[in-house]
Amino acid sequence: MEVLDKLLNVALLVATLRTTAPILLVGLGGSFTTKAGIFNIGLEGQMLVGAFFAVLGSIWSGSALVGVLCGVAAALVFALIFALLVVTFRANEVVVGLALNILAGGMTISLMKAIFGTRGSIVGHGIVGLPKVQIPWARELLGSWAPLISGYTPMVYVAFIAVPLLVLFYKRTKLGLYIRVVGEKPEAAEALGISITRVRYIASLLCGLLAGLAGAHLSLGYITMFTENMSSGRGFMAVAILIFSNGDPLKVLGGCLLFGFADAFSLRLQTFGFPSYLILAVPYVVALVALFALSYRGRPRIIRETLDSMRKLLSVENKPTENDNTLPR
Amino acid sequence: MSEASPSPAPATPAATAEMAVELIGITKRFNAFVANDSVSIAVRRGEIHAIIGENGAGKTTLMNVLFGLLQPDEGTIRIGGQDMVMADPAAAINAGLGMVHQHFKLVPSLSVADNVFLGMEIRRNGLIDHAAQIEKTRELSERFGLRVDPTERVSLLSVGIEQRIEILKVLARGARTIILDEPTAVLTPQESRELFQTLRGFVAGGMTVIFISHHLEEVMEVSDTVTVLRHGKHVATRPTAELTKADLVRMMVGRDVSFERRRRDRTAGEVVLDVKNLWARDDRRLPALRDASFTVRAGEIVGIAGVAGNGQTELAEVLAGLRPASHGSAMLKGRDLATLSPSRIREAGLAHVPGDRMVRGVDGGASISANLLMGRQSKAPWARHGVLDWKAAASQAVDMIKRFDIRARGPEDTVKRLSGGNIQKVVLAREFTNDSDFLLIDQPTRGVDIGAQESIHDEIMRQRAAGRAVLVISVQLDELLTLADRILVMFNGRIMGEVEGDGADSERIGMMMAGVEAEPATGGAAS
Repeated sequence: MEVLDKLLNVALLVATLRTTAPILLVGLGGSFTTKAGIFNIGLEGQMLVGAFFAVLGSIWSGSALVGVLCGVAAALVFALIFALLVVTFRANEVVVGLALNILAGGMTISLMKAIFGTRGSIVGHGIVGLPKVQIPWARELLGSWAPLISGYTPMVYVAFIAVPLLVLFYKRTKLGLYIRVVGEKPEAAEALGISITRVRYIASLLCGLLAGLAGAHLSLGYITMFTENMSSGRGFMAVAILIFSNGDPLKVLGGCLLFGFADAFSLRLQTFGFPSYLILAVPYVVALVALFALSYRGRPRIIRETLDSMRKLLSVENKPTENDNTLPR
Repeated sequence: MSEASPSPAPATPAATAEMAVELIGITKRFNAFVANDSVSIAVRRGEIHAIIGENGAGKTTLMNVLFGLLQPDEGTIRIGGQDMVMADPAAAINAGLGMVHQHFKLVPSLSVADNVFLGMEIRRNGLIDHAAQIEKTRELSERFGLRVDPTERVSLLSVGIEQRIEILKVLARGARTIILDEPTAVLTPQESRELFQTLRGFVAGGMTVIFISHHLEEVMEVSDTVTVLRHGKHVATRPTAELTKADLVRMMVGRDVSFERRRRDRTAGEVVLDVKNLWARDDRRLPALRDASFTVRAGEIVGIAGVAGNGQTELAEVLAGLRPASHGSAMLKGRDLATLSPSRIREAGLAHVPGDRMVRGVDGGASISANLLMGRQSKAPWARHGVLDWKAAASQAVDMIKRFDIRARGPEDTVKRLSGGNIQKVVLAREFTNDSDFLLIDQPTRGVDIGAQESIHDEIMRQRAAGRAVLVISVQLDELLTLADRILVMFNGRIMGEVEGDGADSERIGMMMAGVEAEPATGGAAS
């Protein structure tokens, strides 16, 4: 019991929400492109440039808000390039997404070297982080549970408030409806004079906006620094979650919470002396297992057909041994 | 005599009645191919106007021009007496036209009401007002007698109801003239009857209906006026009451078409296909083919009759090597098919025209010449030294397009762009030019128009005369009565009996198709 108490408590829940926030933000961003029928694996790169330029903006201006805006702007530029190549020039979305991810990784490292003359990370230099939001009367209302709703950095609130807003967006707004139609049945959109190109551009840019916020949260949120490859696969995790959630905001939330919880839980396990390499892998293993289970469901036809053709091959080879005299009647 | 009935006055010149739609001298070319050649049609307000013609006659092109999906190279469109330019579908919709396409454009995850109002959403305070949309959809559906539940998700509905939604979409946009492209192709007979009633209701209310079809029965049944197109040209526009089905066929095809039994001499030679006690299971692993035994000889056509789903598909698949037999044997020229892969079976002498041509017959996205060379890509003249010779393939394709009368822009035309009948001809062209000894033809004329049916039958008879063994599987008994030397009737996976093609009694075949055992008069098939 004691062990469990130590493992599962308010602090763990708080940590879960905190670690969920960045992946939730980028996942919700990806929801726009997923719904619009674009497979966007460029989330990772958009998040990374968002984090880097948020730090730069924060140093230059001395303001966390300007930092966030810079991060968002950089992510939007990446999203625009992505849309230009994928939507206008019809390039393969996986290739473009991968290329932009690689570009983001390399570009941030080079710029870091050029501007700060260092490799690895940017710490200090007067980075201004985002303030924590203390909700008044939280302590009076909830007592020791107060940290559950109060004391996060702003992006955590933005991420969680965005979920119901997105549900409403897809259900009740014209743009949300058109994004769904464009993704699900482009012919229908075309027949009704809805511009597929325009809707996909808008979806890409909305995605860039949220990915940029997610990046800014990484570098100006709980830790105020930038390190190489600081998004560390969260963008890819978001892609995995998007595949199985089909971009539905509530399912994205569920998937992100699962990942966030696994992440927070693994940090907690470290205090018990498990090897940290194993523990750091936990959230990814959880996500991979989920991805495997669900992509299996997503592609039953390919698997079925493969099994079928293998069976056919085998049965053709076994055939001659069968005998005409053993007919069932 | 003349006052006996008010008579619909078919001879009344067009000028007196108000015209809903006039197409004047419409010409539409696709490169060198003329899809519509100076076509002029006038559609009176308040009538059901059928446009008929063979596949590729230009019906759909003409309607796409009218609806602004294509721009004509020449000609004028007049709506209610006024010249119009249909720059895009929006212009056509504004002019009071509405089009229900052959392939529906509904969004499966949205509700009926959302689909009806997609693109013209009712909003309140900037948000979509679902309740109002549902209410309006319900109103429309009641007013026009198109029963639907506005709140249902489209993915859960049948094709017939999807069509109703498409019609509601058009009505919600204020259409007064509704164009339907082959509306009954996807409907059951009951659904078709309901649709016709709805259409009758529309014209009674002063609306106009234009519908494209090549089902003559329904044209005769429902239309007031018929326009016939042939090879992109206008042949005639006449009141339906003045015409017979035979007239329509003659105008569509340009000659008399006979579906009399084909004359033939007895030529049956040696046994090419020998099937003994063959069993097979279906996809659910249940026995679908039970103890089939029969032979097909060189120079004869054996027909397999039966209601769809009585084991014919499985039989065809076993013979083509696409499905393992569970027991029994099938020998093609003395070679056991069970030991051979599909490609080996083809080398051993099988030509296969599959029942579902889009799945197993062609690669829809590829060109005609690519489809025609499939399966012989390593043989001369299609390949030289193991390398494909596309020039030779194209010239072969040109020959075959001519010989099989495939209506296409050329050998590089994409197959899925062709009409059903022409796609079938591509499959036939490939399979019949392989010099295979055994032809397995599953549903030779499914979805193929009349003129093309006749030419496909001609081709099958030519193959018979050339000494091929032919097995024709068809759910259309008429077709087998026209073609087959012997007819085997399948029911529930069994061959119920065999009937000589000459003087076959369709009554008796019908009984066997329904599962009634035949008297062992012919003594052909076992058990």
